[in-house]
Amino acid sequence: MAATDVHAETVTPLAAPKVRQKVRTTGQSRAMTWVWNTIALGFAAVMGFPIYWMIITTFKTNKDLIAKDPTFWPSTFSFESYKTIFDDPAFLPGLQNTLLITIGSVLLGLVVGFLAAVAVARFNFRGRNFFIVTMLVIQMVPLLAIIIPLFIVMKTADMTGTIFGVVLAYLVFTIPYVIWTLRSFIVNIPAELDEAAMVDGCTKWGAFFRVILPLTLPGLITTGVYSWIQAWNEFIVANTLLSSGGKQTSMIWLTFYSTTPTRGADFGAQMAGALLVSLPVIILFVIFQKKLSAGLTAGAVKG
Amino acid sequence: MSVTSNETLVEAEAVAPAPAAAPKRRRGFFAGGHYIPYVMILPAVAALIGVMAYPLYSLFDLSFQNVNRYAQLVNPSLSRYIGLDGYTKVLSDDQFWEVVLRSVYFTVELVVLSMVLGMLFALLLNRVSPWAKVTVITVLMFVWAIPAIVTGTIFKWLFASKGGVIDYIGYLFGGTSETKNYDWFADPTVGLYVVSAAVIIWGALPFLVIGLHAALTQVPKELIEASKLDGANALQSFRHVVVPVIKPFLLVSASLSFIWDFQVFAQIFSLRNSSPEPGYWNIGIYLYEKGIVSSHYSDSSVISIAMILLMLAVLVFYIRQVIKIGAQD
Repeated sequence: MAATDVHAETVTPLAAPKVRQKVRTTGQSRAMTWVWNTIALGFAAVMGFPIYWMIITTFKTNKDLIAKDPTFWPSTFSFESYKTIFDDPAFLPGLQNTLLITIGSVLLGLVVGFLAAVAVARFNFRGRNFFIVTMLVIQMVPLLAIIIPLFIVMKTADMTGTIFGVVLAYLVFTIPYVIWTLRSFIVNIPAELDEAAMVDGCTKWGAFFRVILPLTLPGLITTGVYSWIQAWNEFIVANTLLSSGGKQTSMIWLTFYSTTPTRGADFGAQMAGALLVSLPVIILFVIFQKKLSAGLTAGAVKG
Repeated sequence: MSVTSNETLVEAEAVAPAPAAAPKRRRGFFAGGHYIPYVMILPAVAALIGVMAYPLYSLFDLSFQNVNRYAQLVNPSLSRYIGLDGYTKVLSDDQFWEVVLRSVYFTVELVVLSMVLGMLFALLLNRVSPWAKVTVITVLMFVWAIPAIVTGTIFKWLFASKGGVIDYIGYLFGGTSETKNYDWFADPTVGLYVVSAAVIIWGALPFLVIGLHAALTQVPKELIEASKLDGANALQSFRHVVVPVIKPFLLVSASLSFIWDFQVFAQIFSLRNSSPEPGYWNIGIYLYEKGIVSSHYSDSSVISIAMILLMLAVLVFYIRQVIKIGAQD
């Protein structure tokens, strides 16, 4: 505060020095910008290199892969690694399970979370703050810490080895996140809008479907994508709950795949598998990146 | 919660819909009925009790029993309550303390390095040309999208002692032929504090750099200029002008980093071929090895409770921050 005042006082009477100084700083930064640009590109190269290495490895022939020195560009492009992956009889079923689990937990999480978010955003009920804070606390309890009792509970309910059991377990992280994020979306929809809709002859549910739902749609998409990514990437719950049922998700498949004696050394196929397994997430991320980074920080920070 | 009073309220509103009567409550969409919000949160509450509250309760229950074999889990009549013996057993185990200490060191390393690097690169983004900024952010977006399990698999290949490219780059930059086959995982200290840390920091940087960069753009330029006119050098104006403005995000992202890094599991797990050696055990892996792999359910319940308690301090701090920031909206 004091700084701005001083700034205002010193600058107004001395207009000329200010201009001179501005010229100097831009002149200085023009030379420096190149230095900073180079450093930034170096940083991008280091960060991007593992992904680059994963992708080119998938196209390398066996000869390149076992060569004494790694090659930074494949001598010929080969799709052998991808063939190996698709020939693995466990790959597609794993992908299918992942898809079912992901869609299930996203839909269930959105429906349940949306209802609660509307309640929290539009009503002032007893226990509301307690509910909101509880949602936050739940988000922070390590999933790993409750994995054993979760396994036992699911076992008692006869749901280990089932897709639905995993979907239910994922509600631990989808519901609180959906509530937190959608709450801020719904709060920003003026209550006058649904009132106006009802004055115009909408029923309560009509107002809900025609006003609140469409206006919350961007929020629903953002949280849906985020929940999708969480569920798709989750490993330990799926690994624990599905271990007895002979089912597996893509992430479990990948860790199995890269540790089986026959596949353990085949890095070409491992990287192809790794890329295929992460492709749905990469695509979603590229499409929704702007909204997603805003949504992630909103959910994590602003609530 | 008497039904009659609810009804009278609803009726009263229906008869005389004076908007000034109860302006604070039930605005807009379905005004009326105290039970509605409870009905709406019911599915969420039911689901979370089922998958969170009840397991938490049974976690405590389990920690007082001796369910340390799979047979006892399947046939509960074989198990019995042993009071605090389970706690004594775990807490007097040297390996437990070793793991806790390792987790703390590892977490501190990860949080400090990723926050400092994140801050430096976020500041860098403020100084580069637009095209360079777009390039960096695009790369970071791709890194962000890679699942943790996949990250471990990729880095296992990068750091492989045979054909690994990191060794080869080291060799190109003046290493001997021994450098070419250097085994990064032979010594768990190197494998954990260098390789695993690199994996995790690599995955954490996109969120931190992009988030901190967004926070930095909120700092008014006039404030920085003013502080420079007052004679502050770059470091001073950063400390006294920039940091206070971005403090909320700084605190929250540091807390989040702590929470994520303390319970890190997937990256180390896949980096070490699904069976990390004891030298790699942080609290997450330890819990998994004790509980799932060797069926020591009660012992690992005690470890889980220790883990939750250890996180609680930071958790309280984090929640206070979020509520404080939320209140400013």
